[in-house]
Amino acid sequence: MDLLVIAGKSFRSRLFVGTGKFASATVMAAAIDASGTEMVTVALRRVDIHNPCDNMLSAIDRTRYQLLPNTSGARDAAEAVRLARLARAASGIHWVKLEVTPDPYYLLPDGTETLKAAEILVKEGFVVLPYIHADPILAKRLQEIGCATVMPLASPIGSNQGMRTKDSIAIIIEQATVPVVVDAGLGAPSHAAEAMEMGADAVLVNTAIATAADPVRMAAAFKQAVEAGRLAYEAGLPPKSTTAQASSPLTGFLRNE
Amino acid sequence: MSWTLKINGIPQTFEPSEQPAALADLLKHLQIDQAAVVAEVDGQIVPRADFEKTLLQDGQSIELIRFVGGG
Repeated sequence: MDLLVIAGKSFRSRLFVGTGKFASATVMAAAIDASGTEMVTVALRRVDIHNPCDNMLSAIDRTRYQLLPNTSGARDAAEAVRLARLARAASGIHWVKLEVTPDPYYLLPDGTETLKAAEILVKEGFVVLPYIHADPILAKRLQEIGCATVMPLASPIGSNQGMRTKDSIAIIIEQATVPVVVDAGLGAPSHAAEAMEMGADAVLVNTAIATAADPVRMAAAFKQAVEAGRLAYEAGLPPKSTTAQASSPLTGFLRNE
Repeated sequence: MSWTLKINGIPQTFEPSEQPAALADLLKHLQIDQAAVVAEVDGQIVPRADFEKTLLQDGQSIELIRFVGGG
């Protein structure tokens, strides 16, 4: 399979994994391993002064995985920029998954604020991977100002509803000159395969793995689905037809026709 | 005179005997591993390398942030 290249860095795996919602650091580390991923997302939060030793991320081997800090919790561009700068100061990593979600109910991204924050962060030298609604025009704008990818949502974060924005994602894939990473809402390996078959360059999965009855096996299932979907895309899916197209030859010797 | 520092939004009082001179002293006092956190003092990011030399004053607002799991 082709390598995925983002901002000059190559990835063999096209599955990105989020590290939220895991029952324990041990399960998280095992699931990340089983997924074959090379890119994991992390978030920033205040230290719990009363439980300062809780450091879940020490379970992640940073030599194996590109850490992708996100700006989750940001409700506008200023907050997102602040979080991105903090993440860089904390880790030295200048990659950021930019997300601005002012509405806590659906967690849909604010395109205007995302574009504003992206402009600032790109100028400051960040590799910006913006989380967006499946809006082809916004995707184009973000690409034009120098974002490294676009990350359209399949359905709301953590909803497991799958590719509800499929038609718009297809337009984004058709027009994009940067990698398209389908993010959010992929609830089953078949959803991930569907995105990859369409030509998405990668997918990001968190909830569906972390909250599965067996997260480690689910991570392995997503790995296979992403690989199968990508392979099918590279192999070239045949066209659809509204009528049957016989697979066996219809020789006429049974009847005189 | 006692100090009040707002740490992660919560005001905390420090008697003269326990006032942290520098940010690094505060982290030690709170038993927080320096390697795992990033700090803001009054909205300004303080790089980890500067924790020792960043002197604190009464009334400052300090944010201590770390990475957690997220999607």
